[in-house]
Amino acid sequence: MSVSRIPRSRHIAGLVAVLALAACARRERAAPGAASSVTDDWNRSVALAAPARRIVSLAPASTELVFALGLGERLVGRTTWCDYPDSARHVPDVGNGIGPNVEAIAAQRPDLVLLYASEANRAAEQQLARLGIGVAVLSLDLAADVRRAARTIGALAGRAAAADSLVIRFDTALAAASRRRDASAARPPVRVYVDVEGNPPITIGAGSYLSEIVAAAGARNVFDDIRGGSGIVSLEAVARRDPDVILVLSSDTTRAPRLERRPGWRTIRAVRDNRVLVLDGRLYGRPSPRMPQAVRDLAERLARLRSGTE
Amino acid sequence: MNRLARGPFVAALVAAWLVALALGLLAGGARLAPGAVVNALGGGGDDATRAIVWSLRVPRVALGMLVGGVLAVTGAALQALVRNPLADPYLLGLSGGASLGAVVAIALGLVSPWAVPLAAFAASLLAIAVVYRLGRAAGGLDPHVLLLAGVVVGAFAGAIVSGLLAVGESHQTRSAMLWLMGGLGGVGWPGVAVLAVYSVPALALLFVEARALDLLALGEESAQHLGVDVRRTRRRVYLAASLLTAAAVAAAGIIGFVGLAVPHAVRMLRGQEHRALLPSVFVLGGAFLVLADAGARSAFAPLELPVGVVTAIVGVPLFAVLLRRTMAAR
Repeated sequence: MSVSRIPRSRHIAGLVAVLALAACARRERAAPGAASSVTDDWNRSVALAAPARRIVSLAPASTELVFALGLGERLVGRTTWCDYPDSARHVPDVGNGIGPNVEAIAAQRPDLVLLYASEANRAAEQQLARLGIGVAVLSLDLAADVRRAARTIGALAGRAAAADSLVIRFDTALAAASRRRDASAARPPVRVYVDVEGNPPITIGAGSYLSEIVAAAGARNVFDDIRGGSGIVSLEAVARRDPDVILVLSSDTTRAPRLERRPGWRTIRAVRDNRVLVLDGRLYGRPSPRMPQAVRDLAERLARLRSGTE
Repeated sequence: MNRLARGPFVAALVAAWLVALALGLLAGGARLAPGAVVNALGGGGDDATRAIVWSLRVPRVALGMLVGGVLAVTGAALQALVRNPLADPYLLGLSGGASLGAVVAIALGLVSPWAVPLAAFAASLLAIAVVYRLGRAAGGLDPHVLLLAGVVVGAFAGAIVSGLLAVGESHQTRSAMLWLMGGLGGVGWPGVAVLAVYSVPALALLFVEARALDLLALGEESAQHLGVDVRRTRRRVYLAASLLTAAAVAAAGIIGFVGLAVPHAVRMLRGQEHRALLPSVFVLGGAFLVLADAGARSAFAPLELPVGVVTAIVGVPLFAVLLRRTMAAR
């Protein structure tokens, strides 16, 4: 008796759980218009009466997320700089994402605006809120921000389940890309310098998703002691830290960066040896759901460079 | 404040220059040991250190000495020319012209490292020509009209720059803003050589006119009676100063405060006479900028501050102390 009671209670617990899940699932299906409420990255509570139908996305990274969540059809506005995926270009352009044109946004009659968390956007946030338009402020600086933003957008657009599965796929792919790197990580990590700007030299620090991509690809950013996202550094500090490879972030990958032509840059060994990789700004220029792809791409190219085939 | 006698003043100048030279060479983002730097200067040590010292640090110090000196001398000359203590190398529309050239080059996507300085230089020349044309009244260059012309040309160029920055792509805007902030790291030895060759004749011309500048300070008519060709002096000083500033801006961007404050500091310490003033101002301006740059490189190493930030943060309090002591002694 007592022996069979325990499994039965387990059955009951399991049954309750299944029923609860079913109930949740049924509620999501039965009432897609239910109010959704989330907290955004400025700790504002965002509540929409119904899932967002007309979305304006004011950062390239959030535009990518909207498409990745299968909500591309609902996008009615994007910034001039939103260049991925290609179908984003068919969405009306409302201008800049930092210091946005509130009138142009309002003209699209959105019910949700995804605003980048820049201090320059404080006024726009208030103006949009005053117009009664739902605003979600998103940070989008690190991989963790991609996960959180996916869930925020998913919740506000009634696609919570899609957001969950996107996050799981994102984490699995990132882990796989890093694991592949672990298998070949017997050698010391490649030390890289990330070139954002030449004069004065600007590089990225530990607070950037690019440092995360570099680390996940099995390399090390020589300026990971900079805590912020980026900083102006001395050219002599770059020469002194002697990176193995220079990564140049560029929106135009067809044009060779020609670092050796910059005055003084030939003091850097990687420049003299032409160990320079150009990173496509469309893939590497923002933290996006394609970060795992960037990690794989970088790891492969660094490996090819090591073996002398790139 | 009592003015310094010639001997102590020259000694102080030399000391300031040597301190600037030493700190400029020893301080920096790469944190090299002083012994290693000295060794590398003498041609010893490892290749990497020698490259850092000779290809990066030495040209940077040389450029600082030149740019600081040029800005300070042009400031002194222009203050005498327009007889206005607020005059500085940028007052006559030059910074506006240079900024416009730089921003247009960046907006057009000209990526060669020399495109931006050349465009800034060309646009400065254009601004100089326009201001000169506007400032040429019936009796030759009129200082008041010249000032006004400089300010309006600067404002016009500034408006176009703001417009271009507002519609530009964010990375272009960033490049342009950074260039405008100014810095000594961007041109290396070729930049130093070009600026040196270019500056010598213009500096010499200003020095030749030093006596006339003293007399101009007495007033235009007195100067005329004492045999100064006022029209010619004005034209020469204006053109030499403008062309010098254009070259300095092309090499190092817009670095404020040196051209305004250093001449006043030297006048307070030593007096008005331009034959002594101009060389002293050249040395002190160079030393000041090199010291400021050493601070900019090492304060938050490996991060670097824009040198113009340091010239103002360090220079303004120093200048304020000097000003108060001078006023108190009066």
